[in-house]
Amino acid sequence: MTSLDDPVRSVAVVGGGIVGWSAAVALKRRMPGLAVTIVATPPPANALADHMAHTLPSVIGFHDDLGLREEDAVLRAGGSWRLGTLFESWSQQHPGYVHAYGPYGQPFGTASFHHHWVRAAHAGSAAPYDAHAPAAMLARAGRIAASEPEPGSPFAGIQAGLVLDVDRYRAMLEAFARHLGVDIRDGHVTQVRLRGEDGFIENLALDNDSAVEADLFIDAAGPEGVVRGAIDARWEDWQPWLRCDRLLAAEGPPTAPSPLDQVTALPVGWRWRTATPTRTLHGLCYSSTLLSDTDAHRLLAEAGGAETSAPPIAFTQGTRPEPWARNCVAVGDAATVIEPLEWTNLHLAHSAIDRIVAMMPGRACHPLEVADYNRQAAAEVTRVRDFVLCHYATASRPEQFWQPAIDLPPSLAHTLALFAERGRLPFFEEETFARDSWLAVLLSQGLLPRRIDPLIEATPPAQSDAAMAGFRAAIASTLPHFPTAAQHHAAQLGRIAR
Amino acid sequence: MARPDRQRVVVVGGGTSGWMTAAALVKLLPERCHVHLIESESIGIIGVGEATLPHIRAFNERLGIVEAEFMATTRATFKLGIEFRDWGRIGDSYIHPFGTFGRGTGDVQFHHYYARLLHAGVQLPPIEAFSMACTLARTNRFALPSSDPRQIASTFGYAYQFDAVAFAPYLRRFAEALGAQRTEGKIVDAERDGESGDVTAVVLEDGRRIQGDLFVDCSGFASLLIGKTLGEPFQDWSRWLPADRAVALPCRTATAVTPYTSAIAMPAGWRWRIPLQHRTGNGYVFASAFASEEQATDALTAAIEGAPMATPRVLRFKAGRRERSWAHNVVAIGLSGGFLEPLESTSIYLVQQAITALVELFPEHRVAPVDRDEFNRIVDMEYDRVRDFLILHYHATLRDDSEFWNYVRTMPIPDSLAEKMDLFRRRGRIVKYREGAFLDASWVSVYLGQRVTPAGFDPRAAGPSIESLIAGMEQMQAEIRAAATAMPDHLTYLARYCPMPTAA
Repeated sequence: MTSLDDPVRSVAVVGGGIVGWSAAVALKRRMPGLAVTIVATPPPANALADHMAHTLPSVIGFHDDLGLREEDAVLRAGGSWRLGTLFESWSQQHPGYVHAYGPYGQPFGTASFHHHWVRAAHAGSAAPYDAHAPAAMLARAGRIAASEPEPGSPFAGIQAGLVLDVDRYRAMLEAFARHLGVDIRDGHVTQVRLRGEDGFIENLALDNDSAVEADLFIDAAGPEGVVRGAIDARWEDWQPWLRCDRLLAAEGPPTAPSPLDQVTALPVGWRWRTATPTRTLHGLCYSSTLLSDTDAHRLLAEAGGAETSAPPIAFTQGTRPEPWARNCVAVGDAATVIEPLEWTNLHLAHSAIDRIVAMMPGRACHPLEVADYNRQAAAEVTRVRDFVLCHYATASRPEQFWQPAIDLPPSLAHTLALFAERGRLPFFEEETFARDSWLAVLLSQGLLPRRIDPLIEATPPAQSDAAMAGFRAAIASTLPHFPTAAQHHAAQLGRIAR
Repeated sequence: MARPDRQRVVVVGGGTSGWMTAAALVKLLPERCHVHLIESESIGIIGVGEATLPHIRAFNERLGIVEAEFMATTRATFKLGIEFRDWGRIGDSYIHPFGTFGRGTGDVQFHHYYARLLHAGVQLPPIEAFSMACTLARTNRFALPSSDPRQIASTFGYAYQFDAVAFAPYLRRFAEALGAQRTEGKIVDAERDGESGDVTAVVLEDGRRIQGDLFVDCSGFASLLIGKTLGEPFQDWSRWLPADRAVALPCRTATAVTPYTSAIAMPAGWRWRIPLQHRTGNGYVFASAFASEEQATDALTAAIEGAPMATPRVLRFKAGRRERSWAHNVVAIGLSGGFLEPLESTSIYLVQQAITALVELFPEHRVAPVDRDEFNRIVDMEYDRVRDFLILHYHATLRDDSEFWNYVRTMPIPDSLAEKMDLFRRRGRIVKYREGAFLDASWVSVYLGQRVTPAGFDPRAAGPSIESLIAGMEQMQAEIRAAATAMPDHLTYLARYCPMPTAA
C-alpha cells in the first residue's frame, strides 16, 4: 500500500482583501480541523479580484457552501443584485445586447434553439437574440425576480450575480472569520523562508518581527505574488491578446437603480456604469499606450459625470501556469490577472478556493496531486481568458486598439472557426461560462454562422418563427409582474429591518 | 430516388454500426441526405456489443424507438451493471453498477467516508452494499428507476442486453421505412478523385458503381475505405490490451436470467456471460500469445452453463484506433475505425458517440476541415478515455497464476493511467471529467473491486464521528434493501414489460 503523507494541519492565508478573507473563511468552515491563520495585509490597488464590486452568480453557491445566509452576505453587507450586462458599441454594425445569466430561447425540436435563430437571421427576420432571454429582458426592463420563478415559467433558470459593497463585504467576512476562530495577524510579509532540503516554505517573516508557520500557504496578496513568487516566477503573458493595462474607477450618487450594468466600448478600451440602489459605479479600462492617464480622467468625467483623484491602476494581464508549487498556492491576482470584463476576477478566486478544499493534498504536497490541481486550474483559466478575449476577437470597430494583431490562442481559434462555420461550440473541460453565454456574445456581436444546421431542416422556418414569437410574447406578458429594482430594494430593506 | 439537392451518403456495410448510422441519418437529417447502404449477406455481421451502456437509451429515444417494442424484438433483458469475477484475485467478485454509491449527492463522495471507516478498522460489507444498482443485481430484481430524486430508487440507471443480430434488421426496417436505400452486393474497389483524393464511388463485384458525396465506413474489421483505400494509420494498443481473439458460443440458459452481464477472468483473458430472454451469450476474449484457439475453445465449451446453441466461432482483432476516424470524405464508424474489447460493453457506445458527432457535424457537399477536426477530437477523446479504463482492469490484479496475468500485472501502462491510479491510491481521488463513458462511480467500483485501496481519504470525511457514519451507513443499507425488496424479480418484470414473440 502507498504510504501517505500526514494531513495538512495548518494553513496560512496571506492577503486581507476579500479574496484572502474568502479563502480563510472557506477553509476554516469547510475543513474545521484545520488551523487557519490570515495575514491580513491590505491588498494593493492592483489586486483586481479584491476590489471589483461585480460578481458572477457563482458567488451565491460559494456563500451557500459557507452556510452564509442572503440576509448577512448580501443585504446587510450592502450588496445588490445584477442580472447581466448591456454591451454597447462593441460592434458598430450591431445594436447593443445583453449578456444575462440563464437560458436564451426555449428548445424545440431536436436541435439547439440558436440554430433556429441563425436561420431566421440569415433570412433577415430574426428579433434580437437577447429578446429570447428572459433574464435579459427582465434586466432591460429594470426589474428583478424577487423569488425563484416556478419551474415551467419562462423565467425559471435565470441567475443573478451581485454588486458588492467591497468594504462592507470584507468586514462581514472578517467578522465571520473571527467567529469561526481564524487566527488573524496584521503586518506585511518581509521575507519568505524556504526549507533547505526541499524548497518548501518554512515560514513567513512579518514586519512586526513575528513569523508565521504553516503546512500550506495561500498567496492571496495580489499580483506581486509576494509568497508564491518566492518559489518561481513563471508567468504566461496575455498582453499580446488582451491590451488593456489600466483601470480607473469612480463612484457617484445613486440614480434610478438597475440590475443591468452597462459596458460600452470606447476607442481605446471600454467603460462601465452600474446603478445600484445606493450609489452609481463608473469605471474605465484602457490601454496606456493609446491613452494618457490625464486623458483617462477627463474621459471618465465626461462619460460618467464622476470624477476621481485616485491614480489609475496599472495591471499586466496573464497567469501563472502553475498556481500551486510545493506548499504554496496562489489565488486571485497572485494566480491570474485579467481585466474585469465579464467580472470573472472574484469568480476565479472563489473557484480556486473551492478547488483547494476539494483537492486538499497532504503535507508533502505530492507532485501528482499538485499537478492535477494545476491541470484543472489551467483548463478553467484558459477558457475564461478565451471568453473575455472573444469579446475583442469578434468586435468590430475601426480604431487601432480594436484591430486584430496576432494569432489567437488555439483553443479560441478553434472555437471561433467552428462557430463561424456552423454555429457549434466545441466541448472543453472546466468551462466557466455556459453555452448560452458564449452564444449570447458571439451571435449578438455579429458572428453569424455561415451554415444553417441541417438538424433544423425538418422544421419549416415559419414554425420556428412562430415558436420564437410565442416565446417572446410569453416573456413580455410576464415581465410586468416582477418588481422594479427600486421596489425590490425597498422590500429587502424591510426584510432585514424586521 | 436521389434528389440533387441532397447529399449522397453511402454507408459501406450493414450490421449494427451501419444500420445505426443509416437510421440516425434518415431520421434526423431527412432533408439533407440520401442514405444508401450497401451490404453483403455473404459477409455476415460481427454483431458486437450484445451488452450496452445506459447511453443507448438516449439514442433510441432520439430516434423515437419504443423501448418495450425494441426489447421484445431483440429479446432483450435489463442490465444494471457488470459483474467482474476472479479479476483482482481468483474468488473475487464485484459489480460495476450503472449508478452511484450512496446517494451520489453531497460535497464529499461516498467512497471517502467508506475509506475512512475501513481505516478505522470498522468491519464493512463491500461497497456494492451501498449501491441500489448492485443490490438489485445481486438479488435478480428490476423495475424502472424512480424519477423522484429524493427516492433511493432514483440512484441507478440501466441499459440492455440484447440480440445484436436482431437489432440490425430492426433498425433496417426502421431506416428503410424512412427512405434509406439498401443494395445487396460485395464491394471490390473504390474510386478516388485524382486531385482531392476523396472517394467518389465504390465498385461492386458485379461491376455496379455507387457514387456518393460522403462515405461512412461501417465495413467492420475489413476497414474497406478508411484502411484499405485511404491507408489511414492504425494506432496499435495491443501492448496494453493484448487480447486479440474471441471465441463465441451461445447456449441455453441454465441458471438465472441476471439483470447484469458477467465478465469472468480466465487464464489468458476473460469470458462474457450475457443472458438474453431466449439464450445466454458466451465468449472468451483471449490473447493468442498466451493461448491457442483450440485451448480457448475447449475452455469456453467447458465453462458454459447450458447446452451449446451453435458451433464456436472465432473472431480476430487488434486493440487500437485509426489515427483519424474521419479522413477526406470517409467517416469510419464502428470496428473499421477502432476496436476495444467488449469488457465494459463500449462497442455500441463508441458507435453511438461517433454517429452523434457525425449528425451534429454533418458536412456540406465539400467537407470542411473544421468539421472533420472536431469530429476526430471528440472520437479520439472517447477512445482514449475508454482505453485507460480497460487497461485498469487488467493491470490492477494480484493474479500470478498464468503467464498472461503476469504480463498484464507487470506491463508498463500509459502515463495517463498511471497518474490516475496513483491519485486514487494516495487519497482516493478520481481524476475529474465531465465527459466520457465512465465517470467517478465507475472508477471507484473497479479500483475497490480489484483491491486498489486508497491509503487516505478526503480530509473532509474526517469530520463526522465514526459512530454517526456507521449509523448513516446502516440506515442507507437498510433503505436500499427495502427499496430493492419492493421491486419484482427480473424475469417477472420482463414477462410483463416486453415479452419476446413466442414464435422466436
